[in-house]
Amino acid sequence: MPEKSDVWQGTLALMILKTLESMGPLHGYGIARRIEQTSGDRLSVNYGTIYPALLKLEQEGYIGSEWGLSDNKRKAKFYRLTRAGHQQVEREAKEWERTTAIVARFLAPGEQS
Amino acid sequence: MRRTRAWLLRLLGTFAGRHREQELAAELESNLALHIEDNVRSGMPPDEARRQALIRLGGVEQTKESYRERRGLPSLDTLLQDVRYGWRMLHKNLGFTTLAILTLALGIGANTTIFSWINSTLLNPIPGARQTSEVVSITRGGTVNEPGQFSYPDYLDLKAGSKSFSGLMAFAFRPLDLTGSGKPERLWAADVSANYFDVFRVRPVLGRAFLPAEDEKLNGAPVAVLNYGLWQRRFGGDPHIVGRTIFLNRHPFTVVGVAPPAFQGTMTGLRTDLWVPVMMEQETMKGYDWTHDRGDNELMMQGRLKPGVSIDEARGELTLIMQHLAEQFPDSHFGHNDIAAYPLWRAPNGANGYFYILLPMLMAIAGLVLLLACANVANLLLVRSVSRRREIAIRLSVGAGRWRVMRQLLVESALLALAGGGVALLITAWSTGTLASFIPPTSFPMSLDVRPDRTVLLAGLAISIATGVIFGILPALRAARLDPVAILKEEAGSASGGRHKARLTGALAVVQLALSLLLLVAAGLFIRAFRRAQQTDPGFNPQHVILASFDLFPAGYTSKQGHEFDRQLLAKITAMPGVQASSLAGTIPLGLVHDTEMVKLEGYVPQLREAMDVRSDAVGPDYLRTMQIPLLAGREFTARDDEDSQPVVMVNQALVDRYWPNQDAIGKRVWAQGHWSIVVGVTRNSAYDQLNEKARPFLYLPLFQDYTSHPTVLARVAGDPMASVPALEKAIHELNADLAVYDVDSLAVRVEIVSTNQRLAGTFVGAFGLLALILATVGIYGVIAYSARQRTREIGIRMALGADRRHVVRLVLAQGLRLTLVGLGLGLALSLVLTRFLSSQLFGISATDPVTFAAVALSLGMVALAACYVPARRAMRVEPNVALRQQ
Repeated sequence: MPEKSDVWQGTLALMILKTLESMGPLHGYGIARRIEQTSGDRLSVNYGTIYPALLKLEQEGYIGSEWGLSDNKRKAKFYRLTRAGHQQVEREAKEWERTTAIVARFLAPGEQS
Repeated sequence: MRRTRAWLLRLLGTFAGRHREQELAAELESNLALHIEDNVRSGMPPDEARRQALIRLGGVEQTKESYRERRGLPSLDTLLQDVRYGWRMLHKNLGFTTLAILTLALGIGANTTIFSWINSTLLNPIPGARQTSEVVSITRGGTVNEPGQFSYPDYLDLKAGSKSFSGLMAFAFRPLDLTGSGKPERLWAADVSANYFDVFRVRPVLGRAFLPAEDEKLNGAPVAVLNYGLWQRRFGGDPHIVGRTIFLNRHPFTVVGVAPPAFQGTMTGLRTDLWVPVMMEQETMKGYDWTHDRGDNELMMQGRLKPGVSIDEARGELTLIMQHLAEQFPDSHFGHNDIAAYPLWRAPNGANGYFYILLPMLMAIAGLVLLLACANVANLLLVRSVSRRREIAIRLSVGAGRWRVMRQLLVESALLALAGGGVALLITAWSTGTLASFIPPTSFPMSLDVRPDRTVLLAGLAISIATGVIFGILPALRAARLDPVAILKEEAGSASGGRHKARLTGALAVVQLALSLLLLVAAGLFIRAFRRAQQTDPGFNPQHVILASFDLFPAGYTSKQGHEFDRQLLAKITAMPGVQASSLAGTIPLGLVHDTEMVKLEGYVPQLREAMDVRSDAVGPDYLRTMQIPLLAGREFTARDDEDSQPVVMVNQALVDRYWPNQDAIGKRVWAQGHWSIVVGVTRNSAYDQLNEKARPFLYLPLFQDYTSHPTVLARVAGDPMASVPALEKAIHELNADLAVYDVDSLAVRVEIVSTNQRLAGTFVGAFGLLALILATVGIYGVIAYSARQRTREIGIRMALGADRRHVVRLVLAQGLRLTLVGLGLGLALSLVLTRFLSSQLFGISATDPVTFAAVALSLGMVALAACYVPARRAMRVEPNVALRQQ
């Protein structure tokens, strides 16, 4: 469980940051919904898991939050990227690409050396 | 960086208030609301919409919990939980908790008390001074009882010739009269070299310290620095005191400064009332120029080592210079000339000369008491853990880690230890003061300001935590090793109780017995030593003798007038009702000051560099009769031994044995005070410094031939000596109303003062021993009672199978006896090895005194067996059918 959640936490954080980058300020439910849609509904997680991840990013200073009103006039807590968050997206994205590239080479058939 | 920031936020988050909880709830609520709305919009019925939203969220409470975990630091969170839980457990078991806390408080309190004494004597020898660890006390030859001193010219040569010191100062401790306004008052002054305050880095709170120029001209610096206390008491804290004139021994002095409140002088435990330059001694105190006299050794030296210079290097350097001086001036250096240097924590001039052995010894003994207390509490915990086995097994089986269980138990131990430490500090706040109460009320300028300070507080905390770990670790380790399945299955335990646990508690009981035997032996030895010290014959009879001193020098008497005064005074006192005998003496045995004479003895040829200094005293007629020192041959001084008659002396038996063995001493000649005298009497040996000293050669000079301006009058009276004080003072004041009468004491108090160490040790070690006895008794009783209870079923079975009651008693007692014997054996072996470290403080008692060993072992054995007998009798009364039906 811990190892798996580490990977999940890492990717989830990146997904959240990327979502906020492309969508602008958004509330927790919106972020979860958006991640679900972006993944083409292939990724189906409990929305609850998004809140500890948001808290972690906020503690690390990558995102900020404030209460506001949603499109349909509901009170909700909106998250937005901070400057450090924007840099972090770049870094994490590059890191991710490198990792997937490496993993991909391992998985590619007939290319073991 | 981000890590730290997150960690700090989480640390704060641990103590999250209610509004953070509410905010989380609101956020989740808004999430659900948004989700439900979406669901409804996509066509679900409201109930289904809500249900789906909840499912997708993954449960409100679960989300909250994982959120909280991220918000705070889980480890700190659970620690707080452990503390809260531990607190509840301790609260539930008040009897156990009280007993454990009390035991620990006594054990820790014993340690913090002794530590507070060490802290304010050995660790902080000179209050008010800075970096005293660099300062050393320097003596010439001699021992703790007799630190050898220096003449002024020698001091100057040593100071000029040595390179080891950033400052080397000299001082003499000397009484003088504060005259002028109000009643004359006797003060303890120090005449000091001008760098005295600089060496100790003491800066006056008012005015200045002495200037280098004040070290140069004989009688040229009539200035004084006051002790803060004297300034407050005698001068009402006058802010304009600097510049005021005061009269010391009737000579005008200008006050130039006031010392800081904490600073009491440079001898640990002694108070100095004021300081004057050493240059003023001639005129004010001695009446002759001694600054050029190499034979007048009255100065003590202390110096601050330069950085990087070791105490041994400094000692070596001074010894070399001193050897040169001894060769250059052989006539004035036929005493001991080797230099000794001591760090202040064991400097011979002052209380540390005695404390530096005694206090660490008491500390070690207190440490043993604490170990014993730990063993006791550990045993209590082990016994109690039986009733908690199920609780712990359940916790283990529902998934608590073993570390978590251990931590829970350790937290409880720490709570107990800290509570014990708290009570111990309360005890210490009271008990530190008892050190001062061991010094009887006396005219000595004692100053032992012992107070628990921050260091003591921190030490108490450290001791408490260490204690908690020591007694808590064993029970915690055992609990963590429990097998939950076995325990939950067996439910009630086997017939005879866990064998392993019985062995562990048994071992702890053995340790307790052994430790308490050791402590009791130590206590027994100290108490016997103290009793012996009290019963020792000091060679004179200290009961019913009153002492009082006065000084004729500041009053301007010549030696002829002084003799006349002394004569009239003796006549008056002898005529007082109730006075059986009276006399005068320059110094009194067991006092702070003493005299030494360099002598030549007829017919005795000294070896090369042999020290021919002999302790001496100038005494009046009837001195031996008043002190009740037996005369062995010849006669004692009479009123006719005066300036116009043949010079005479008396000697003690030890002097005869040393220098004139197997010869008749009467009629032999002694050279002292610059002339030859004839021995007219030989006295029995008596004590001069310490009750337990070896007999040493002693020379009595006649007071009416060898004038002393500040004698002590002594009178043997019927009844309470202190009751005759007013009459005695009246007799003195009838002859001169302006004389300050000082150092009024009974001779018996002097005996008490010099046995302070023995009394202190006897009392404390005795109390520690009593505590040890109680702890060991409770300990072995607990073990036997517990094991008997564990074996109730076994006993029931045995009885059902036909064992009789006597057999059962024997069964239980045998276990107790076995533990007791092992414990006593171990304790005796320990004591034999360890008590030898006490021998320096044991007065007239061997450290392996068989009487003490036997008596202690026997009585402890009996107490232990008695403690076993109670549970044995209870076991005897077990009803088989009741015992078997249990559970």
